[in-house]
Amino acid sequence: MSETTEWKGYLLSLSKGSLLLQSPYIHDGSPVYGPDSDSTTMAVAGIQFLHAQGQKFTAIRLPLSVDAQVVYMSTSVDSPQRNEELDEDNVDWHLIDGEEATLVLSQSDDEQYEFDEPSGTELIDDDLFKDMNAAWEHECSPQHVSQGAYVSQSQYYEGGAARLSLASQNFAGKTIWPPRQMDASGTRLPPEDAFLADAATVESWTKLSAAGAPSEFSLRAPILGGVQTVLVKFEEGPRGVFLVCDDVNYSPRIGDKVHFGVRRIYAQEGLIRYGLKAIPRLN
Amino acid sequence: MVVAGNGAFLDSTGATVCSSVESDRLNQMLVLLRRDMVDVAVIGAGQTKYGNHQLGLKGMWAEAAEKAFASVDKNFDPRQVDEAFIGSVAFGGGQLGNTAALLTEHSGMEGVAVRRVENACASSGFALRDAWMAIKSGQADIVVAGGIEKMNDLSPERKRFWLGVSGDTEWERLAGLTFPGTYALMARRHFHEHQSSHDDLVHISVKNHMHGFENEQAHLRKQVSFEKAASGFMVADPLTLYDCCPTSDGASCVILAADHIVRQFTDDPVWVRSSGAGSDRLALHDRPSITQLVATQKASKSAYSAAGITARDVDLAEVHDCFTIAEMIATEDLGFAESGQGGLFARNGEGIRNEGSVCLNPSGGLKSKGHPLGATGTGQAVEVFKQLRGSVESERQVRDAEIGITHNVGGSGATCAVHVFGRDRNE
Repeated sequence: MSETTEWKGYLLSLSKGSLLLQSPYIHDGSPVYGPDSDSTTMAVAGIQFLHAQGQKFTAIRLPLSVDAQVVYMSTSVDSPQRNEELDEDNVDWHLIDGEEATLVLSQSDDEQYEFDEPSGTELIDDDLFKDMNAAWEHECSPQHVSQGAYVSQSQYYEGGAARLSLASQNFAGKTIWPPRQMDASGTRLPPEDAFLADAATVESWTKLSAAGAPSEFSLRAPILGGVQTVLVKFEEGPRGVFLVCDDVNYSPRIGDKVHFGVRRIYAQEGLIRYGLKAIPRLN
Repeated sequence: MVVAGNGAFLDSTGATVCSSVESDRLNQMLVLLRRDMVDVAVIGAGQTKYGNHQLGLKGMWAEAAEKAFASVDKNFDPRQVDEAFIGSVAFGGGQLGNTAALLTEHSGMEGVAVRRVENACASSGFALRDAWMAIKSGQADIVVAGGIEKMNDLSPERKRFWLGVSGDTEWERLAGLTFPGTYALMARRHFHEHQSSHDDLVHISVKNHMHGFENEQAHLRKQVSFEKAASGFMVADPLTLYDCCPTSDGASCVILAADHIVRQFTDDPVWVRSSGAGSDRLALHDRPSITQLVATQKASKSAYSAAGITARDVDLAEVHDCFTIAEMIATEDLGFAESGQGGLFARNGEGIRNEGSVCLNPSGGLKSKGHPLGATGTGQAVEVFKQLRGSVESERQVRDAEIGITHNVGGSGATCAVHVFGRDRNE
């Protein structure tokens, strides 16, 4: 019997070297993705879990439903979908898109997988689920012209490693994040060569009403009753601001410890922008 | 005296009076001397009422300019203007390019050298600084500084887009922050570090509404009770509606002149005794502290020093209170209260007109008078000009006012301009 582990907002079960990932939210008896999750965000969480368990790998086969570029920027794990020159012999891992909001990470793609029903699921509000799905569908459609901030694709990808995996710079004994081009004396800084630890402390927070939220959240903020943001300080020193993950269930306080999971932020020109969101460490 | 090819000064016999190295130094000294010698005065100032205007950009600017021209005591002709600097975010993007040329074309200044100045909400504070510098440099004698913004003709969603373009787009905005959010983060941290509270912010809101109530140019001319201001609709926790300035349409215009021609226009000038400015990192999370604005500290230190004053000499201050927490922090950064004591300053009723040592926001500030982004900085100067000349509504007059300052901040503190005005010139 496999034991359920909660990891970055998802439920994980290990069985015979394979990993089942499932969204904790249940709607009409089936698992469904939460307000800012999808198969890409859960795939990233699964790979990060295996890496944390010592299962290091650098390549994986991904289903079409998963954004291979986001997986690469988040985990440094490449895939034939993203990199045609990848040596297929080095691709030992497979991500299989299961029914509803489930994924399997395995070193084989020709087996039937048997997992126990994970514990720790919760019912998602019917209106919230339907309204969020409709909002994302509308936002992601090519016809939708977002009034959101114009973070172009090139700008988004330029900062991708810092945004999705906390890639940071080390210079003159200091850790720098988000990346900077020059220091205060005009010295050109080196590229990112390290990663911040996945741990920070809340220094301030706010919840913006739907009326005050940026226009890129205009479809979803009213459904969530606003958007929550925390300003945190990382253990290495830098500070950052992050939305709160699945923020319907958490009221931040100064001093709270948080870690981070990759989630959807918003969509523009048919491209979903992903980023890290803060998850409270409850113990 | 002639200048040789090598830059040396020669007398009529061809003998060297001073070498090229010495002449470089002499030139530098002359520039510095001239800069110190030219004083700059405000000879006229006017603005539209702030609020929801039926007028568009051209109409609002023409009204503000006309009022400024009319406020000059004698002999002013807009064709005398040498340069013009007009601040605007160009909110809505309707006339993003060449905004300033369009406006001078419609205000009797056709053909003048003009440009738009953009530094978010501090656009016209920096337009004023540019105008002051143009005269100080000796390149111009009469210069117009102004500002304008049309904000209320957009759909709510489009307005929210434009309200967020001056913050850190790549990181802050994608973390759900617009300025109410960034200032809310500052407020909560200030409460945590300095034992201040939302009640302190409420005192600021009540004061500024009280000041603005008598101001015919104000957007929100209504007094609010402590209880009402304390229980407003939550915009960005902990900031409520009564902590936030309105989005306003409006324009403002100030006319500056060099000292040697001031008396042609008025016997009652207001002198721009100094201009200070500073900047800081754009994103809140990149700053060492979020409970102070380094740009304000730099700008005020520079301005006070150049004017030979301290904060204790200031009789009135138009402070950039886009949110009440912004005034509380500015109270500290401008030197009216010790660091961390801005809450106590507000709680004790300091800053109220004719009750404390300094009056903060006699116009009602951004909170009550309104905040048409690009117009705000020179709009503050309009108020100080009138206060120092004793020409505001009598019930609004700050008694015995000799020195006033304007404090204009861009966004969450990335830029700041501070100007010191006086009835007298620098000694």
